Amino acid sequence: MKDDTGNDIKTLIDMFDESDWKELSLQIEGLKIFLSRDTDNAVPGWLEHGQTASGISTQQNERPLATGQHAMHAQQQEAAASDPAPEQTPVPEGAVVITAPNLGIFYRAPKPGAPPYVNIGDAVDADTEICLIEVMKLFTPVPAGLKGVVLEICVADGEMIEFGQPLLYLQPEK
Amino acid sequence: MTIARVFIANRGEIAVRIIRAAKSLGIETVIGVSSADTSTLGARLADRCIVLGPPEAAKSYLNEKLIVQGALATGCDALHPGYGFLSERSALASLCEEHGIAFVGPRPETIEALGDKLSARRIAEASSVPLVPGSEALASVDEACAAAESIGFPVVIKATAGGGGRGMFLAEDSATVRNLFSKASEEARSAFGNGELYIERFVRNARHVEVQVFGDGQGKVIHFGERDCSVQRRYQKLIEEAPCVVMPDTLRRQLHAAAVKLTSDLHYRNAGTVEFLYDVDRGEFYFIEVNARIQVEHPVSELIARRDIVAMQLELAGGKPLDLQQDDIVLQGHALECRINAEDADNNFQPSPGRIGTWAVPDGDFIRLDTFCESGALVSPYYDNMIAKLIVYGRDRQEAIDRMLFALERLRIEGIRTNIALQKYIVGHPDFTGNGISTRWLEQTGLPDYLNTLEE
Repeated sequence: MKDDTGNDIKTLIDMFDESDWKELSLQIEGLKIFLSRDTDNAVPGWLEHGQTASGISTQQNERPLATGQHAMHAQQQEAAASDPAPEQTPVPEGAVVITAPNLGIFYRAPKPGAPPYVNIGDAVDADTEICLIEVMKLFTPVPAGLKGVVLEICVADGEMIEFGQPLLYLQPEK
Repeated sequence: MTIARVFIANRGEIAVRIIRAAKSLGIETVIGVSSADTSTLGARLADRCIVLGPPEAAKSYLNEKLIVQGALATGCDALHPGYGFLSERSALASLCEEHGIAFVGPRPETIEALGDKLSARRIAEASSVPLVPGSEALASVDEACAAAESIGFPVVIKATAGGGGRGMFLAEDSATVRNLFSKASEEARSAFGNGELYIERFVRNARHVEVQVFGDGQGKVIHFGERDCSVQRRYQKLIEEAPCVVMPDTLRRQLHAAAVKLTSDLHYRNAGTVEFLYDVDRGEFYFIEVNARIQVEHPVSELIARRDIVAMQLELAGGKPLDLQQDDIVLQGHALECRINAEDADNNFQPSPGRIGTWAVPDGDFIRLDTFCESGALVSPYYDNMIAKLIVYGRDRQEAIDRMLFALERLRIEGIRTNIALQKYIVGHPDFTGNGISTRWLEQTGLPDYLNTLEE
């Protein structure tokens, strides 16, 4: 984070306060901000479904999401042609990429409101479930496939994922 | 309502064909592909491409849940199934219907009723469309022999759930029926998940003719004339043409009327094909089946009718009324189509996947090439080996044949083996130019003749 980020955020919040906007969601490299006037129901795309943001929420220390634009509700209003290529952070050295076994909707928690299967820094075994993939109301948990530590979660909750798309970076246990 | 964004649940040339038709109507396109197809022409031409699953068709192109999930997640309001894969599985059409996606094809119950051969025969019977003399489903080998005796030999043993020639066996006498019955049942079970069999009369001098129909779903059906697809190997069509010149006009009118009656009684929706066996010696035709989808060979009908059938499919699915009348369809001239397959015709038709090097295609006012291949493209080992359809138009059959020979001469594909040389040989063969072939001509005469020329 650069030194003046704090000031930038403050400026942004002031702008938001003066505006008649209901929500503001901003993702730039190394920084994600979500502002909302709705203290009960507002959830940014990158939080777990059911997890509520309290008025102002900032998240740092997490890289930009792999496919932040793909959330289903947003996609339906978007021209198919304008869909940008997903950004991808480089895979850290020695890390293993866990990819999607098929197309579907990605969920980080077993059900809305429940804690996520895994968080960054969690240790997992091969059979630890890391997420849920929905295909036409059929929910299938995905196991990590190997023992290691979660370095990064590449997909936002509720997002459409395609076959082979990176879901998680794992640091395998030596 | 008109379609804003269509999902293409297919690959290969038909995916490209559908994308082009959609673009001509201003419809956005999303294609769902396997991971083996992400850089194919269809994937690049579509406005958006999503990856459904791994290369195995069962985990991608044949999984209707993945496909409808993909269509929903990308905001599509219609889905075109193409041909093959899930195009004739009512489950896909139903799932689309349940989720408010317009299925570009017949209603699920129509697909269901026509998909089962015995049920399709009953439908034809109810519409007074003639059938090949045949049996009901057979419970035992003894029943099969008795049925065969009463129908008269030779007979074909077929799978009730079958299609595309698989699970079909010819029997000249009762002993053969007895020998083949369990093998046929076994093959049917492994290929279609259902071992049920029936028996039909075998027509010696048969041509395969089929009528292209288009219905509005409310009982109105128009036709685009017939196609002759008698050049076949192992029940797979290799050359298709329109019209069927050898058929007398009176019989032709009866053929069209039969196809329209059957589909109109069903309130058939969208494009379909009613297939018949034309018994040249008896001057009769018998119903085979209805293909409830767009077919590979639809372009020959498009050329003689000067209509874009795939665009019509999308328009009807989008709610546009079928305002065409039968009199508006004026059939003119002759069209021929050669399927270009990645297979080594000189070497027992071994599949020949691989990277295409040279891809030089003929050009001309009366030449059309429907394909998804190009120089540098990879012909995948996972799927069907058809890589292109070369289609030509002429004022009459001879002109079409001349143009096809001209075009085949200039079609050069290197890097993989193809059947171009064989196609050239067939189209130039006196039996073909003289129009004296049957559905078994290629296997019995054309191929042996061709292989002889290789040895000389």
